[in-house]
Amino acid sequence: MNDYYCWLDGRIEACRAEIAALEAAGRRDDADFAKVRANIYDVCRTVSRVQMNRPGGGSAAVGALFARFGNEWGAALEKAKDHGDVKAVAVEETKLAALSEVRARFEEAAKS
Amino acid sequence: MTQENALRIFKCLSDASRLNIMQALTQGDTYTELLAERLDLNPSTVSFHMKKLEEAGLVSSRKEQYYTVYSLRREALDQTLGALVAYAPELPDEQQKREAEYRRKVLQSFFEYGKLRAIPVQRKKKLICYEEIAAKLEPGRVYEEKELNAIIAAVHEDYCTIRRDMIGEGILRRDGNRYERIK
Repeated sequence: MNDYYCWLDGRIEACRAEIAALEAAGRRDDADFAKVRANIYDVCRTVSRVQMNRPGGGSAAVGALFARFGNEWGAALEKAKDHGDVKAVAVEETKLAALSEVRARFEEAAKS
Repeated sequence: MTQENALRIFKCLSDASRLNIMQALTQGDTYTELLAERLDLNPSTVSFHMKKLEEAGLVSSRKEQYYTVYSLRREALDQTLGALVAYAPELPDEQQKREAEYRRKVLQSFFEYGKLRAIPVQRKKKLICYEEIAAKLEPGRVYEEKELNAIIAAVHEDYCTIRRDMIGEGILRRDGNRYERIK
């Protein structure tokens, strides 16, 4: 599981560097999407740590939480699409893409 | 040209990604997926930028089968900087502008796709939300309670509380089972 946490730390650091580079390049809106990604990695890191360390927690609890996030954000994405809310579509897609990356990595770490 | 339009154009163009998109469009009409590939951006991010460019009147779009094809609006690009800054003086005073902005932010926080997320606790915010709901009622028209309930329930499930509050705040007038908007 340490590799998983290190990977998350690395992703957050990479996002921070990307945010700084995008802001320096005058791409503030793209930087905002990178902030959304960084936030998702950070949230996933926090919930993973909490769920793995709490009594009765463990990888199944983390998996269930990730599944819940996926369902909620998927529903928000559909809602945004229905309403033609282009910004919310981009935000929800960014969140779901980051979550899918984290889930794959977590499942791999939980197996080993 | 109004100040608001000029600001929208300047704000829209003060982003390098959007300038890159505009530059790409000078080569010819194109669609989201192709732009995303060329500029190494997610298609949804490109759609977001395109929406802003469209709102600023700098590009136009048309449907071609599955794709939305974007073009530069030449007439918008042919405007001179002088024409952009020579907008007619307008605009309400600063206080009105601040209030309008505050109202916009409150509505943005409490409403999502026309639904009230929660009834605000703070009276000022609550009033703004109730006024927004009241805007759905035709001034001068009398509504039966059932009809009014249905209109409010489409915005928030607790229509009783909202209806009562709106009467208490002087937004609605009640006469038996009949209601009228007074603000």
